[in-house]
Parts: sequence; C-alpha cells; structure tokens
Amino acid sequence: MMLWLVPLVPLLLAPALYLSGRRLGQAGLVALAASGLLVTLAMAGLAEAAGGASRYAWSETLTLGLAMSPAGRVAALLVPLIALPVVIYAGAGSGARLLALLVAFVGAMQLLILADDLLTLLIAWELIGACSWALISHRWEKPHVPRDAATAFLVTRFGDLGLYIAAGAVFAGSGGFGYDDLAQLQGGLKHVAVAGLLLAAAAKSAQVPFSAWLFAAMSGPVPVSALLHAATLVSAGLYLIARLEPALSDVAWFAPVTVVIGLATALAGGIVATCQDHAKKLLAASTSAQYGLMWVAVGAGFPGVALLYFVAHAFMKAGLFLSAGEAERQAGTFDLTHMRLGRRLPGVAVMALILSLALAGVAPLGAAWAKEQVVAAAYHQAVVLALLVSLAGGLSALYATRFQRLAFGRPPHSLTPGLPEAPGPSVPATLSLGALVVGTLILSVLWWPELHRSIVESLTFSLPPGHLWLLIVSLLLVAAGIAIGIWMTRPGQTLPAQLEAKRPMAAQWFGLSAATAALAGWTSVLGHRLARFDDEVVDAGLRATARAGEWLARLGAGRGEWLGESLPGSLTRLSEWGGRWARQAQSGQTHHYYTGIAVGCGVILVLLWIGALL
Amino acid sequence: MILTFALFIPWLGALALAVLNGWTQGQARRVAAASAGLSLLALVFAWLGFNPDGPLFQHIDEVSWVPSLGVAYRVGADGIALAVATMSAVLFVAAIFYPVETRGQPRQYYAWLLFLQGAALGVFLTLDLLLFYVFFDLTLVGMFFLIGRWGHGEAQTAALKFFLYTFAGSLLLLLGIIGLYLSLETPTFDMRVLIAEQPLAGTGTYAGLVFLALMLGLAIKTPLVPLHTWLPQAHVDAPGPASAILAGVLLKLGTFGMIRLPLAMMAETFATYALPVAILALVAILYGALVALGQANLKRRIAYTSINHMGYTVLGIAVAASLLTDNPAARQLALTGATVEMVAHGLITGALFLISGSFWQRTGDYALDHYGGLAYQAPLLTGFTVLAAFASLGMPGLAGFVAEFQVFTGTFAIYPWLAVLGVLGILVTAALFLDMLRRLFFGRLPTNLGHFPELSRREWSVLGVLSLGIVVIGVYPRFLLTLIDASSAILVGGR
Repeated sequence: MMLWLVPLVPLLLAPALYLSGRRLGQAGLVALAASGLLVTLAMAGLAEAAGGASRYAWSETLTLGLAMSPAGRVAALLVPLIALPVVIYAGAGSGARLLALLVAFVGAMQLLILADDLLTLLIAWELIGACSWALISHRWEKPHVPRDAATAFLVTRFGDLGLYIAAGAVFAGSGGFGYDDLAQLQGGLKHVAVAGLLLAAAAKSAQVPFSAWLFAAMSGPVPVSALLHAATLVSAGLYLIARLEPALSDVAWFAPVTVVIGLATALAGGIVATCQDHAKKLLAASTSAQYGLMWVAVGAGFPGVALLYFVAHAFMKAGLFLSAGEAERQAGTFDLTHMRLGRRLPGVAVMALILSLALAGVAPLGAAWAKEQVVAAAYHQAVVLALLVSLAGGLSALYATRFQRLAFGRPPHSLTPGLPEAPGPSVPATLSLGALVVGTLILSVLWWPELHRSIVESLTFSLPPGHLWLLIVSLLLVAAGIAIGIWMTRPGQTLPAQLEAKRPMAAQWFGLSAATAALAGWTSVLGHRLARFDDEVVDAGLRATARAGEWLARLGAGRGEWLGESLPGSLTRLSEWGGRWARQAQSGQTHHYYTGIAVGCGVILVLLWIGALL
Repeated sequence: MILTFALFIPWLGALALAVLNGWTQGQARRVAAASAGLSLLALVFAWLGFNPDGPLFQHIDEVSWVPSLGVAYRVGADGIALAVATMSAVLFVAAIFYPVETRGQPRQYYAWLLFLQGAALGVFLTLDLLLFYVFFDLTLVGMFFLIGRWGHGEAQTAALKFFLYTFAGSLLLLLGIIGLYLSLETPTFDMRVLIAEQPLAGTGTYAGLVFLALMLGLAIKTPLVPLHTWLPQAHVDAPGPASAILAGVLLKLGTFGMIRLPLAMMAETFATYALPVAILALVAILYGALVALGQANLKRRIAYTSINHMGYTVLGIAVAASLLTDNPAARQLALTGATVEMVAHGLITGALFLISGSFWQRTGDYALDHYGGLAYQAPLLTGFTVLAAFASLGMPGLAGFVAEFQVFTGTFAIYPWLAVLGVLGILVTAALFLDMLRRLFFGRLPTNLGHFPELSRREWSVLGVLSLGIVVIGVYPRFLLTLIDASSAILVGGR
C-alpha cells in the first residue's frame, strides 16, 4: 500500500490543486503543491525502508505490480527532490493548471519508477507523455505552441509503440507481463521485446535519431523544461534501460547498440549545442548529449554509474534551465547573442557559473566524478570508446562555457543596452535556483572514495576500475573545451566562414528536425489523398450500384413495361383474328366441308406415315 | 423476467409517446428518460445477478411461439451481451437527456429513440436467431426516421443511403441465417442449440458460403473497409444524439453479431478464414485512421475514427477465432479486448458525437478551419473534448487503452506482424486527435466566435456521466473484465 501512495499522492493532489486554484491564491497553491511533493518524498523514503511489492488485479491476466528496485531507490527520491524547487519556481508566475500538471507529472513518473511489469510501465510511460503534451501546450494561444506539443507527443509515442510490441512479445512467450517474465524469455521473442524496449527508451530520452523532438518541447514554459529534462520525461528512457539492464543485456546486441546510440548522441548533441544560439535549445541539445553518456554507461554494463550521473545531471540541468528562464526575463529573448547579463544578474550569474562548471565536468564537482566513471566504464569495453567519451566530455565543457559566457558574461561597456531593466529575480526564484546549486555542490562529496563505494554497494551496483592517465586525458580535454569556449565567445569573435556556413544546419540536429517534420507532412498528405480516394473511388462503387439500379428501373418502366404490355396484348389480338377466321369456315356449303374432311384425312395420313418412318 | 422488462419498457414508453397527445418537450423527454432509465436499471440488476462461474447464457426467458418452425420468444444474456447492452442503455439515456432541436415534434423524436433502444437491446439480448434478424432490421427503421426527420444538410439522401446499404447487408445476413437454420437436423432458431451443435462443422463449401453471407452482412453494419461509405454521410447529416447512437450502439450490432453468429456457431469455419478477416481488420485500422486524418470536417473525422476503432474490435474477434496456435489465453485476451473496445468506443465516440452536436447547435458548422482558440471561451467543452479525444487515442487510465492493449497483446501472440503494423494505427489516431484539438481550441479565436456559449448544465452533466464511465473503466476495469472474461473464456474453449 505504501508503494501505491508514492504515485497516488501527487496524482490525486493534482486535480485538487486545479479545482481549488481560485480559492487558495498563489501562496496557498504553492504551499499545497510543495507539501504534496514533500509527502511524496517521505512516502518514497518509507517505501524504500519497507521494501516489498504490491499488486492490483484488473483481471486474471492483467495485473499492475509495483516493486522497489535498486534503480528505483535512487530515482524515486530524486524526482520529488528536483520537482520541489521547480514547483516553487513555477508558482511565482503561473496559475493552478501548470502547478497541477507538474505535480501530476511527478506522480506519473513515480508510477513509472516503481512499475514491476510492462503493463504498469506502459501506463505510466504514456501518462508522462500526455502530461508533457499538456505542459508544453501551456501557452496554447500562440499558434506554433500546440503544434510543437503535438510533435513532441507524437515522436515519443512512436517510441511507445515499441513498448506495446515488447508487452505483446513477453505475453506471447510467457502469458504474463512481469519484468521477471521478460528476464526469463527465450529465443526470438526476447529479441523482439528488447528491440521494442530500446526503441521506446531511445525515443523518450531523445537519442539519435529521435533527438529533434526536444527542440519542439522548448515551446513549454521554463519550469516545464527544467522538470522534463532533469527528472521526468527524458530521464524515463534512461531509467528504463538502467532498471532492466540485467534482463536486456542477455541479448548479445544490446550492449553494442546502446553504446553506439549513446555515443553518437553524445557527440552529435555536443556539436549541436556548440552551434545553437537559442539558450534553451542549447541546453536541450546538451540534455540529449548527457543522456547519451549515460546510455554508454548502461551499454558498458554499469547502470549504477549511469544512475549516479543521472542524479548529478538532474541538479545541474534543472538549475541551468531556471537560470536561462531568469536570463530571458531580463533580455526578453532566449537568443544568446543578445544576453551577456553578468552585470544585471550578478547573483544568478554566479549560481549559473557553478552549474555550468558542473556541466563542463570540472573537478571537484560531483558531476565531474560521475562523468569520469562513465569514461572508466567505457574503458572497460575498449580504449577508443573511453577516448570518444572523453571527447564528448570536452564538447560538454565547450558548450557549457559558451552558454555561461554568452548568457551571463560581462558585456563590453560600449554594448550595454539602454533598455529599462526588468526587476531582478524574485525571492522564490532565487531560493529554488540556490537549492539546486547547493545540491550540485553537495554532490562533490562523491569524490570521497568511502562514500561512493558504500552508496554503490548498498544499491548492489558496481563501479568500473579507474585509471589515472584516463582521468588526466579527460580533464585535459575539459580544459581544452573551456579554452575553446572562451575563445569562441570573445566579444566580436567570428568563426571561420566555412564553419559559420555549416552552423545553422548543425544547430538543427543536422536536418533531423526537418526530417521529422517532413515525415509528419507526408503522413498528412497521405491522409488527404486517401480521403479523396475514399470519396471518389470507394464510394463510386456504391454510387455506380445506385445508378445501375436506377437504369434498370427506367429500363423496366420503359421497354420492360412495353414488352410486358404488348405480349399479352398481341396474344389477345392473335386469338381474336383466329376466331374470326374460324367463323368464316362455317360457310354452310357442303363442298367446303368435304374439302375440309379430305384435307384433314390427308394430314392424318401424312402424320401416320411420318410416325411409321420414325 | 428482468431482461424482458429491460427490452419492453422502452417500447411501452415509445407507444405511450406515440399515442398520447399534448405533451410538451420537457414532459416528453422526462417520460422517455424514465423508460430508458428503468431499462438501464433492469440491466444493471441483471449484471449484479450474473454469475461469472455459471453457464454461458443466464437470465433466460422462453415462451413458445411457432413450434413447428422452431421459433420462440427467447431472451438471455452472456457477459458480452450484458456488457454491450448496458453500455447501450447508458448511451440511450445520455442521448435522450442531451439537448437537441426537435423541430416541434418532441413526442415523435423521443418515441423513435425509445423504439430504437428496444430494437437494439433486442439484438443483444435475444437467443432466437429469427428474432435476432427481426430486431436487427427494426433498428434500421428507427435510425432511418431519426436521420431523415431530424437531420440537417442532405438528411433525406443520407437516410436513404444508410437504409438501403445496410438493408442489403441485412438480406445477406438473412441468407446466412437460413443457411444455418436448414443445416440442423431438426431445424430450430434456438441459438443455444446452434452453438452446442456447430451444425456446419466440416461441410466445406456450404459452410464457407454461409460464413461469407453472414460476414458480409455483418461487415456492412460494422462497417469494415471497403463497405463503409454509408457511414460518414449518415453521421454528418444526423442530429448529434442520433449520431452518438449510430456510432455507439448500431455499429456494435455488426461486431456483436460476429461474436454471436460466426464465432460461436461456426467456430471451425471461422478458424479457416480468420487470417483474411484479420487482414481486413488491419486495413480498416490503418485506412480508417489515415482517412480520418485527411478530413477537414469535425464529424466526418470522428466518423472515420469509428472505422478505425471497429477495426480493432474485428481484429480481436478474428484472433479469437484463429486456431493457428494452441494459445487459448491469448485468444481470450483478444476477445475480451474486442468486447471492451465495443463498450469503450460506445462511451467515447458517443461523447464525441454529442460534443459535435453541441458545436452544430451553436454555429451550424463542422469545418475545423472555422474554429480556434475556444479553450478560454469554453473551458468545460475543451476539457470534455480533450478527455474524450485522449480516451479515443488510447491513453492509459481511460477506457480505450484497456481494450486496445488487450487486442494488441492478444494479436501479437497469434499474428505478430499484424500486431506490429496495427499499433501504427494508434500513432495516426494520436496525430489526428491532437490536430483536431489544436484546430478547435488552441491558437487564435476567430472574431465571429466571440460569443460562443459554454456548455449548458444539461450538456455537461451528460458528458460528465459518460466521462466518468470512461475513467472508471480505465482505472478499475475489473468489474467489466470479470463479466466479459466469464463468457470469452467459454467461447474460446478455455473453460
């Protein structure tokens, strides 16, 4: 029961929040939402202490099960912990609907984390998709916003189809839907199930080739982006493969495919973020890239490392989004080339600096430790993998520096805009941002060997062996990334023309966004063509039948009726004529009768003769 | 007696409305609602009294009628019939309560609705094949007048097209029924005998022809692509509540007939042709969804999604009929899913058509492009439409998911490729509903809609009840699944 309360408290609180929106007022709403999240956090803690599993039966075949898992123990605490500052931030400037949806989002995510079978997983998986649609379309008056929300929903739902197929495969093989049924599955069905799960995970965590939907998701308000990237929607994909890694890795191709997808996304996303001028889109591309690194860790066989990096990433990425929101409030745009707000927002700038350093992977922040573990995990598989991961880390450092310098750098004096300044950050905004920064700083203790070893052991995960030279190479690449980032963002600095020409394409995921849009366009055209085909061709058969019926009716009414009328009519006339003729034979003259008798006898004789012949 | 009561109370109400003069709109509606409601209550009692571990058919009433021909008044229900009949009764009560322009003839309008309710419940509840056919055809009469007299646009043409097309289907059905009847040694129209004896098992071509006649007749009603073109026009020109009944109840006659006649009475023949039927269903799923996406007219779009959803139902039935692999659990899952789809689709599409009726009453326009930005103007309307749309696209927590999940997973175990292709349908459905929501409620409000009225109290209470049903089935489907599983287990031979 305790397990069920973890998702149910926020899920039931959400409608209450929405309905009591007017009565409670701003402060009351935030207080209620925040206390609900605290209760969820407490419930999650209690459920972890109690452990166990719980089932809820729909029918004999369909049961919904919840259970605590090692991966779940990390995520179930993290999600409300991140959601708390985000909700406090969101409460400052928005109504009951946004808060209610954010809280519901947390509930659906908790259901996903605790799910112990594919049916429950699928339910939660689609619910977070629906929540994200509602959250992204928050500002529905703008024409492009609902379109973007639909794009985000549809791309992730395409991945959801993989879960349907995986559930079908597990049921076909075992008659149930449990994770343990999946683990015991054999043969071809296991391949199908793993492929389906991988598809679903890749689409949700915005891996290549699905990465572009995260850009569409940027139409949502800032707190939505913060929650979506740090702790809920995007993390669901990573959580899924980390949670099921033991079962998935039974399939030989799982590890290499996961590593390749993750690495490709990490490198491509790094380049995209380096080229992007939109503050939130830069962070979005970086989200794809960072989750790519976590995918590499899972593929290399260290889901624990992925989860620890997930924790570190959650704090810094949520904070960075909130800082980007503050920057937009000052600049009136997310365009990085019009920011450099270091003087106007000194406090936010310092906090963002810490978060950017974490994103860059600079020691002694916890994120850096976790990233080095990913490098070590990759090294466990192959040296070249480790070097590529380090390179992706260098790219992170590059775009983190670029973000920080462009958004919160100090402007050259001549460029200070003369616009009136917007009021500084509100108290709740500063507090929530501060909380996330403090979280990021506290995570630095992960460098302490006893601590990280005991955490990993208590979660029954393992750590890859570390190598000093690898650490040095990795940190050098980080330093190089920072140096290039600083060089790129010097005021007045321009890129070489060749690079500058390619930048817009790279900034849009090398055309992936356009490809996704084109696919949607083709489907829509196909729909219109088929609709015309249906009206003009399929229905034509019916219309032709109706016309044929009418023609037959006219034919009957005209010729048929004439024929029907004239046949019996002519028979009547014929018999009348015969009657008249017969009467003429009755002449009263004997020689006529004798002639008649003679002819008659002749006819009889001829008939008899014919009969004899035959 | 309880089913007989449920069956005839609506007809008594219809008779009273038809004969007695001088009732106002409100009085006529109250009488209609009372008889429809009593009928629903009787069905609820029948449901509560249904024993899931008992025999297939329960609550049986039987009165001898023409013994020499084996015709008798026989009613009784299995779990599948009871679930679908109860959903239908709910929908009729909703349709009666929903405000509509009756053009000064409220008595007649409500009388025809009640007549239709009696006929439709008759199809679900009768155990006599001849009565089944009679009720099946009587529904046509009721719907013909509802569309023709209270429709808009080219209502007369639409009513005629609907009547003639589906009547042609009924004639094929009659041929099949006679074929089944004559194949018995001592001919009788008793369905229980036909189910027990499986008279056509192993008769080759003859069985194939009877199966073809039955399936064609039922496929027109369902409707299955390419026999569906009567549907969009009938929907577009029908008044909102009649559309809701047409989609929610009358389409179910086709799929319910498939379960009751070919699946139950000629299992062996159906097994032979299960794969072609399943492929046709897949075509209906994808084609219906894509064509719906291509519609610019609100009501036509919803009408085509019905073709898509009935495709899921037929797919489930075909999978249940297949004997390809020895997997009764999967076949039972598919059949239960198909039945839940009928119930879910009835409530969801019923709600969507009632909503489109509200749009027509306010503006007289179904063109999606003429709307926009209504979310602020009419938040309740927006809320109910979003809920119904998400239910229709198969969102978990709502009724449609419970159905589609079972159909897909059951199908995967028997015909994996069909399931893999079939799930694409839910993606297209999602696209078309999100697009519909966007065009109706989001973006800028056109100036002429500045005074677009919000839902009235009667409208939102009806939609609220339907939505409650959708949510309850989505969250706690156990009460429904227990009832349906009781029968589907017997039908697939699992019990």
